[in-house]
Amino acid sequence: MTVTRAHESPGRLTWQAFRRNPLGPSAVAVLLLMGVVALCAPLIADYPSGYGEQVLAPPGGGHWFGTDDLGRDVFAQVVWGTRVSIVVGLAASALAIVAGVVVGVAAAYFRRADAALGVVVDLSLSLPVLPLMILVAALAGPSVPTLVVVIAAFSWPEVARVVRSQGLAVVPMPYVSASHALGGSHLWIIRRHVLPGVAPVVAVSVVLTTSRAVLAEAGLSFLGLGDPDSWSWGTILHNAQRSGSLATAWWTTLFPSLAILLLVVSATLVAVAYNDASDPRTR
Amino acid sequence: MGGSARFLVRRLLRGLLTLWFAATVTFLLLRLLPGDPALAVADPAMTEELYADLLRDYGLDKSLPVQYWHFLAQLAQGNLGVSFRQNQPVLDILLERLPWTLLLAGSALLVTVAVGIPLGVLAATRAKGWLDRLVQVGGVTGQSLFVPSVGVLLLYLFGVRFGLLPIGGAMDDDVTGLTAWASIGRHLVLPCLSLVLVQLGSYVLTLRSTLIEALGEDYCRLARAKGLPNRRVVWRHALRNALLPTTTLVGLQLGFLVGGAVLTESIYAYPGVGRAVYDAVAQLDFPVLQGAFIMLAFTVIVANLVTDIAYGVLDPRVRAS
Repeated sequence: MTVTRAHESPGRLTWQAFRRNPLGPSAVAVLLLMGVVALCAPLIADYPSGYGEQVLAPPGGGHWFGTDDLGRDVFAQVVWGTRVSIVVGLAASALAIVAGVVVGVAAAYFRRADAALGVVVDLSLSLPVLPLMILVAALAGPSVPTLVVVIAAFSWPEVARVVRSQGLAVVPMPYVSASHALGGSHLWIIRRHVLPGVAPVVAVSVVLTTSRAVLAEAGLSFLGLGDPDSWSWGTILHNAQRSGSLATAWWTTLFPSLAILLLVVSATLVAVAYNDASDPRTR
Repeated sequence: MGGSARFLVRRLLRGLLTLWFAATVTFLLLRLLPGDPALAVADPAMTEELYADLLRDYGLDKSLPVQYWHFLAQLAQGNLGVSFRQNQPVLDILLERLPWTLLLAGSALLVTVAVGIPLGVLAATRAKGWLDRLVQVGGVTGQSLFVPSVGVLLLYLFGVRFGLLPIGGAMDDDVTGLTAWASIGRHLVLPCLSLVLVQLGSYVLTLRSTLIEALGEDYCRLARAKGLPNRRVVWRHALRNALLPTTTLVGLQLGFLVGGAVLTESIYAYPGVGRAVYDAVAQLDFPVLQGAFIMLAFTVIVANLVTDIAYGVLDPRVRAS
């Protein structure tokens, strides 16, 4: 049987278009590389601790990214920071996605719940989230689990909003009504029809929510609410700010900043490339 | 006029609802969190009697619904508690600092719009050209910027390396009159620019895509067919309609802008509400943190209300919907 282009599934077409655009795959490669760095941190650099001999040494042979005000290697800090930043980003994003999908699908499917859930989501989105996260993180005490829960708790409304609007396009489809007529249970219809229908926006949302969570973690850590027992990119910036070394030693802030930028730009590019690839008009 | 009055009342009610929601979220979070809710009002280091007095003052020895009612009543009277470290009502501390935050966030918003509209128009009218590409790449990068990174970079380059601009504070101490204004302006440049760079990307990209869409609509094709100059079609016809979604975006991003202001003020030691938050984190001054959130939420709600109403006056479609 010959398969012509017209018969190929949308998913396959999207994947082909995604591979053709050089930006998408290279951004994915960067993200994978950062994942490897996070996993293999102990193999790449020693855990930065204690005091070093050279204080505020500029980047050079012994220390690729220089040293901070206590003589600790900035390269090692950035490598180990990758771990915490990515773990917090992924965990917070996973929690937020689950909550957001549940609320978004419920709002789109059960019309009676929509108004109430919609109001809660709208109200949550219109509040200044960072000051609220600061308050909660400070009260709960800074630690990695706190960061994950706090960031997730204030990220799900955005996911719910996107999922709901996509769900609203799927639920009125004739095949969903047909399933009702055939006596399908709500749960079965949601699993079989609604969830696959919203899956593409969830995929994009995973990438964007993770990058936003990484930014949120960096922001909270920068303000001094990071886990005191581990390194993250925000913590490096916090140390530079607190010790005043940012005014003299550019390397203490530039390299963690570049790491954050690289991760977030790559995530954004993956999302943009995926959106372009899945849209027949821009494919 | 009936329609407009209804629109106004609806928006006001919505603002009040959001404010109540913010207060309720704060209340619930403080109670649901593991740990002593009294932390938010009373310093554990206080003496027994003072601690008990404070708990009674804030009704923390009562049942939850009573506490909730008490909390709302105190808020309605503008009582945000007393700072642990400064022994001053939180409201007074924050009100003194609010004008600086408003100046910073307001000027950043103004500059973003003033630069963003021409950039968006240029990109949309030269779609697919090199300028458009540049705007798109810049937009995506801009959206991905981390506020403290930008702030620190600008501070290092223009404040330390080239020594062109002050790196901290909001004005010099010993100046008056015109020099004082100039000093305020010079201190504002770097924090404001940091916020603009972070905001600009999404603003320009949204304006660009809505404008490209509007330019393909029938009314724009008709306007061109009538022989109107392209300039007029873009600026008078398409832009007016493209501005509505963009303005909605500005409203949605106000919360984000305020968050950015907190981070920027922390870097530049700018004496606004955000810097108070930064200091309060280091000193575990919970009443200030709670008060700052409520005050910033209030500011965002009022700003949203003002833009909504202003836009409702300008665009009849907003009132109808």
